[in-house]
Amino acid sequence: MNRGQLQNSLAMTVTLIMGSMLFATLFLGYAVYRSSAVMWPPLGIQKVSLFLPLLSTLIILVSSWFMNQSKVKVESGDVGKALTANNMTLAFGMLFMIIQGYFWYHLKSTGIFLTTSGIFGSILYGFTWIHAFHVVFGLLALIYLRFALKQNGPQVLQVTVNVEKFWHFLGVVWLIMFITIFVL
Amino acid sequence: MSGGYNEIHPEPTTFWSKYIISFDHKVIAKQFLWYGIFFLGLGGMMALLIRWTLAYPGVPVPVLGSLLFSESGGVVPPDTYSMLFTMHGTIMIFYAITPILIGAFGNYCIPLQIGARDMAFPMLNMLSFWFAFLSGVVLIISLCLPLGAAAGGWTSYPTLSTLIGSPGAGQTLWCVAIFLFGVSSTMGAVNYVTTVITLRAPGMGYFDMPLTIWGLWLTAILNAIFVPVLGAGVLLLILDRVMGTTFFLAGASATSGSGDPVLFQHVFWIFGHPEVYILILPAWGIVSDLLSFFSRKPAFGAKATALAMTAVSILSTLVYGHHMFTTQMSPLLTQSFMTLTMTISIPSAIFFANWLGTIWKGSIRFDSPMLFSLGVVFVFGLGGLTGLHLGTVTTDLYLHDTYFVVGHFHYTMAASVLLGGFAGIYFWFPKMFGKMMNETMAKIHFWGTMIPLNGIFFGMLMVGYGGMHRRIYNPFVYESLQRLIPINSMITTSAILMGAFQIVFVINFLWSLKSGAKAVNNPWNVGTLEWTIPSPPVHHNYDEIPVVKCGPHELGNPNLKNGRDFQYQTEELVEA
Repeated sequence: MNRGQLQNSLAMTVTLIMGSMLFATLFLGYAVYRSSAVMWPPLGIQKVSLFLPLLSTLIILVSSWFMNQSKVKVESGDVGKALTANNMTLAFGMLFMIIQGYFWYHLKSTGIFLTTSGIFGSILYGFTWIHAFHVVFGLLALIYLRFALKQNGPQVLQVTVNVEKFWHFLGVVWLIMFITIFVL
Repeated sequence: MSGGYNEIHPEPTTFWSKYIISFDHKVIAKQFLWYGIFFLGLGGMMALLIRWTLAYPGVPVPVLGSLLFSESGGVVPPDTYSMLFTMHGTIMIFYAITPILIGAFGNYCIPLQIGARDMAFPMLNMLSFWFAFLSGVVLIISLCLPLGAAAGGWTSYPTLSTLIGSPGAGQTLWCVAIFLFGVSSTMGAVNYVTTVITLRAPGMGYFDMPLTIWGLWLTAILNAIFVPVLGAGVLLLILDRVMGTTFFLAGASATSGSGDPVLFQHVFWIFGHPEVYILILPAWGIVSDLLSFFSRKPAFGAKATALAMTAVSILSTLVYGHHMFTTQMSPLLTQSFMTLTMTISIPSAIFFANWLGTIWKGSIRFDSPMLFSLGVVFVFGLGGLTGLHLGTVTTDLYLHDTYFVVGHFHYTMAASVLLGGFAGIYFWFPKMFGKMMNETMAKIHFWGTMIPLNGIFFGMLMVGYGGMHRRIYNPFVYESLQRLIPINSMITTSAILMGAFQIVFVINFLWSLKSGAKAVNNPWNVGTLEWTIPSPPVHHNYDEIPVVKCGPHELGNPNLKNGRDFQYQTEELVEA
């Protein structure tokens, strides 16, 4: 690893630590709310149907697989195929956002509102918003990677690896959110 | 994002690229310095207004009163008083100390002292300043709102900071400003951490770095880990205020589940306790170096000092609960937090003893940077000792939220950091601007700061011990506190005196900038890398990247044959 690669990799590591701490704080909050609640979900609120969150989870897993393919192809020097895989990642990432949008819309129709459903609604909307906000940055990073792949400069592998790390990070956060907030 | 490879970048030529969106770490450092000094002045004026109200409640503020509070006849109104102490704390911590100690010295010293041409990510560095600038603008806008600025204390505990406690937009803008400032700080942290790891000059191991760099580096690591925690907290607070969520609102728990106001305190202090070390670590580093430089002796136990600072950084992440002893924490928890808090005294005592060991039998030169460093040793010693009373549950329950706390954290976070910052400014001014500062004025400034400063903060310890609570508009409505009026007016007089003596600093700074004596390459005769190059350094710092052969504190070696009592880090080590 030369110095430039080390720098980029370190910077991404520090960035991921920062992201982890942000979401760790949210999960800490969730643990406090959940453990201090008399019953969960609170009285009068139905558990959310798992269908849409499960779909989101599958979509983000598939997108992560394509992301990994991008890196594998860049490593083997096949930038054309990496670009295809990148397109697929981008497409599935956008699909994830569309499902999220539909999920928020759907939540309202099941009677869970942001302001009147207490802490349950706050967590469902607030946490998924903050995650989705980071996904937007992930998508921007993927678009940046698209340009980098098209240019195919000397830095291309480093950029791919970094974007891959960030994208997997978003996937892992979603997975934890899926398990803790929706399944449990 | 592409990293810097320590190559020479062409010098910018236009005004815009040279001074405004400059990528040069030296220019960014100066931008942060001006930014910090501006807010230091603003926060200081607020402190004077607070002090005036406490000593002379109901008496119109001279001069400023008729300008600012004409509606109340020049008296600070109660709600404005809350805004003043809130904004004083916020401004001093985030907008004065952080930019000066971390923004200015971090940017200036890290590349120069480790022998690099710039930061690892110069563009990120530029963005870091402009995010801080944007944040400052948002904060200043919040001061001009019809319902006023945030008034829930710098800690912004709910419910004071929810829509119920502060209905205006001021608190929302406060949250936005803090979030933006967090973005700026973390950008800086990414840069500092990466730069120190990858851009050290060949031959420079971690223990060959000046202790200033150790302090700044540990600060950056703590910043990267803990600023996002506050970010998450204020993000949820913004959602509560703007979108109507109930994260920090207590409600009817059986029906809809309840938010938790105390959760914010946990989140705040998980960040907040490391934050106080974020603020003090650079000052510790600077002082550790300067004590050695001006005692003409190697730093006593430099390695132990570095490791002790590392130990404090690690421990600082485990003690936040001592801010919350009065929140009905279980005794098991309070005692655990107390024990962990007390553990911090061990590494603190180690480097404190090292400081004393450094000046012991040194041939001390009482130049202004040294005076300020000795000031830090004294002031931090007092501040650290009073911390023991607050870390112990039994005494803290009595002293909680009194002026004893205010005195304690001002001694550690304000006085120490301020004096450390001044030491740094007097020390690196010649390198930064190529001019010497006036030494006589510097000494007047030192004594004019040091004596009233102790009057203020020791006075605060005394009135706090006497039972005066903080954040009360007029404490003397309580009869039992009326006996504290004389000490309070002594504190206020000291504060006004200290404020007045800062004018000497401003005059000295501006006058030296314009017509100070020209600085030579190495006016203080010390051996770290930045003093091997001209003052001020050229755009790319080093024509050739230096090769480091010895540590930063090689002073006073009797075997030196080169006519100096110190050797540069680029010279082969002469055995003592």
